[in-house]
Amino acid sequence: MRNQRLTLWLLLAMLVIATNSVFYFKILSGPSHEERNITVILRSSNVRIDFWQAVNMGAEAAAKEMGFTIKVVGPLSESDSDTQIQLLEEAIERKPQAIVIAPIMNDRMRSTLFKANELGIKLVIINMSPDKLPSHVVVSSDHIEGGRLAAQTSVEQTAGYAVIAMISDNANSIVSEERLQGMQSELAGYKDSSLLGVYYADNSEDRAYQIANKLIQSNTRFNTFITLNESASQGVARALKEQDRVDDINLIGFDSSSDEVQLLESGIMKSSIVQKPFNMGYLGVKTALNLIDGDTTEPITYIDSNVITKGNMFTAENQKLLFPFINSK
Amino acid sequence: MLKKRFPIPLFPLKSIQSNISLAFSLLILAAIVLTSLVSFQVSVTTVEKNSKGYIEEIIKQVNLNIQSYVDNMENISLLALTNKDVKYYISDNSFISAEDRRTYEKQISDLFQAILYTRKDIASIMVFGYNGRFVSDRRITSLNPNTKLQEQEWYQMARAAGGKSVVTSPHVQSLIKNEYRWVVSLSRELKSTDGITAEGVFLVDLNLNVINDICSNINLGKKGYVFIVDKNGNIVYHPQQQLIDSHLRTEQITKVLQASSGDSFIVDNEEGKRIYSVQDTNFGWRIVGVANTDDLITSKSDLRNSIILYSLYGLVIPVLISIWLSHRLLMPIKELQSDMKQVEKGNFNIQTEIRQMNEIGQLGRSFNLMVSRTKFLMEETIANQENKRKSELLLLQSQINPHFLYNTLDSIVWMAEQKQHEEVVLMTSALAKLFRASITKDQELVPIQVEIEHITNYLLIQKMRYNDELNYVIDIDDAIHSYKTLKILLQPLVENAIYHGIRNMYGMEDGMITIRGRQSGDQVVFEVEDNGHGMTPEQQGRLLLSNTGDSRTQGIGIRNVNERIKLYFGHEYGIQIKSEIEEGTCITITIPKLD
Repeated sequence: MRNQRLTLWLLLAMLVIATNSVFYFKILSGPSHEERNITVILRSSNVRIDFWQAVNMGAEAAAKEMGFTIKVVGPLSESDSDTQIQLLEEAIERKPQAIVIAPIMNDRMRSTLFKANELGIKLVIINMSPDKLPSHVVVSSDHIEGGRLAAQTSVEQTAGYAVIAMISDNANSIVSEERLQGMQSELAGYKDSSLLGVYYADNSEDRAYQIANKLIQSNTRFNTFITLNESASQGVARALKEQDRVDDINLIGFDSSSDEVQLLESGIMKSSIVQKPFNMGYLGVKTALNLIDGDTTEPITYIDSNVITKGNMFTAENQKLLFPFINSK
Repeated sequence: MLKKRFPIPLFPLKSIQSNISLAFSLLILAAIVLTSLVSFQVSVTTVEKNSKGYIEEIIKQVNLNIQSYVDNMENISLLALTNKDVKYYISDNSFISAEDRRTYEKQISDLFQAILYTRKDIASIMVFGYNGRFVSDRRITSLNPNTKLQEQEWYQMARAAGGKSVVTSPHVQSLIKNEYRWVVSLSRELKSTDGITAEGVFLVDLNLNVINDICSNINLGKKGYVFIVDKNGNIVYHPQQQLIDSHLRTEQITKVLQASSGDSFIVDNEEGKRIYSVQDTNFGWRIVGVANTDDLITSKSDLRNSIILYSLYGLVIPVLISIWLSHRLLMPIKELQSDMKQVEKGNFNIQTEIRQMNEIGQLGRSFNLMVSRTKFLMEETIANQENKRKSELLLLQSQINPHFLYNTLDSIVWMAEQKQHEEVVLMTSALAKLFRASITKDQELVPIQVEIEHITNYLLIQKMRYNDELNYVIDIDDAIHSYKTLKILLQPLVENAIYHGIRNMYGMEDGMITIRGRQSGDQVVFEVEDNGHGMTPEQQGRLLLSNTGDSRTQGIGIRNVNERIKLYFGHEYGIQIKSEIEEGTCITITIPKLD
């Protein structure tokens, strides 16, 4: 009887020690101390492409804020889909907890993404509309909203009577199509404004220049060019300058390369709809973290754009957008 | 009363040991929990205090660095201010020819260039005269045609400050064509020699890299950072300025503005507990260092975990010791308890071991005293009982069987009537001897010789009564004649043999009783054998059973003999009966050999 009780006590003590040491080590090796592992795959890691460098910076900022490091990779060229798929496959080999990717979309990419998804890697798609993708979360600029903003700006600048010629790259570009869609839906709200036509310049400055020249020289009455990419902006700006029509035809562009900044500054380009790539990188990584932690995440996070004009381009907020890098130039 | 006041007893467990262990454990637990909590709290406060000091120190350093850069720019501006060439060049006079201007421009530009060479952190130095002239550190400067000087913040600020130097927030400098640099501008209005007329604005641009490097190379833990606000609360520099602009992040601007220089405060919200440390520069910026407390030195959770671990060790070990101690303390009581159990079971030969003369030792001593006293009393009682029994038995054996006496006397009368005088004399004297032996009380033990005489007398009387029906043989080893035996040992057995064995025989002829006596080892063995009727096993059993059933005198006789032997000599001695129906009975008596 006496021994039994003593044994009981000892057992109890052992049990307490055992459970607590287990508990203790669980705290030490628990999720809070586990290395969080996120890979970011950009469309390009080229240091000369400001947009993706800003995405990179935003991603790094999120990582720093949460106290961990991320791996950022990407092909040199923005259209090198094979290299990007290869990078994605390498990333899958490393089995990160999440991959944040700005995919150059094609069928092979889609199936590779499905594969990653099946392996339980959380996927966050950035700069891409939610379209025919495996279960995922999207963080992207709202291109429809961008198009709407462009249309709205053009209407404001022409006191309600905008006639718009739009120069896009090609009909297959999802981004461009969404911008067009946004533009059209916005224009529908103004009875005195209209879309003259959509022209495709295929990323070629010369094609854009020719289209613009032809339009200017024709007798068509219009007062606004909206260009959906940088090369189109450049081509149209050249035509406007040469034809000396800068003052009566507004040019509204998208994004902000350094050339476009100068167009803005010189007043040739009246406005530019500028995305916020830093925010995209930041929110992409943050969303990935939420997915890892199992918090509720919105399926789509949209990032707004700013309308930049000559007048507001050097405000504290906008100069950060136009010149994201302190070290550049 | 007590029970009513404590519905739950103070010590709820059954054994004192468990109660003591429990009480110890609870006390230890309380003490450890208390000290752990206090030490955790103290450690955390100390760590936080140290961290605050550490951050303040770092921010002071940052402040000094930035201040020194600004001071340098100011010194450069003083250089320009006091330079005669500069003054002359921008002064509103017309006696400088176009060619002379080139010389001046070159000289000033050389000066600026020389300064710029020594200072990598300075992006550009320029002077703009209100007369429309300007000089920069470059030989050929093409200004950005789209940038209007009068609209620039640094220009406006310098004009408004009227001769004092002003510092702008970081901005993109777009003065020069195709150049967009992030800089911090220091500008100052230049006065003419009379010190009253304003003649131009001097500009020094500091690469923002410098401030960025200072701020981002500071180690304030993994998540720590530095930001700068101006006195109106506008953010001058923040590593996540874009997020703040997009309202994805907020910063504690109001609290920073409320704090005075050198102060720090703690913000604890969903982003974690952070320490903000604020320092003012003398040109209007507030530099703020932010560090996450979890990042600093030891993280709070590590601290908490190690305190929990050590207090666990500190709890378990004393608990084990307390169990062991209470076990040790109570061991004598438990021993005493088990010794008492032994006594309960009837073992009075126990003496408990006394280790120390403390309360328990005294208890043990009392117990020992009590047990020995009880044992003594018990022994005394047993002895008394035995004595009493012995005297009872003595009384019994001294009584002569009345039937025997009556029959014998009847035989004597009968023989006297027959005038058989000799037989009468023989029988009477034998009877007299028999009686004398019975009533001799002084001696319990008699030599075997005396016992033989006694049985001989008895058999003589019986032989005279039964004549030929009874034959007997006494065959006792001469060597044992001198040994002692209890008296009247054999007579009850012989009596039993006659009445139950021989008298019941059919025809009553040839009844034979054989009495043998010999020594066997250190024992003396008597045998009384008859060839009579014999006994069933039940009868045999009943013969030796004490005080039950058959109360006939004969039965009592053999039982008495057995009892007396055991009382006097111990339980290993006594009577054994061997009997076969129609064959006869043999009763064996074993007693010790006594001189």
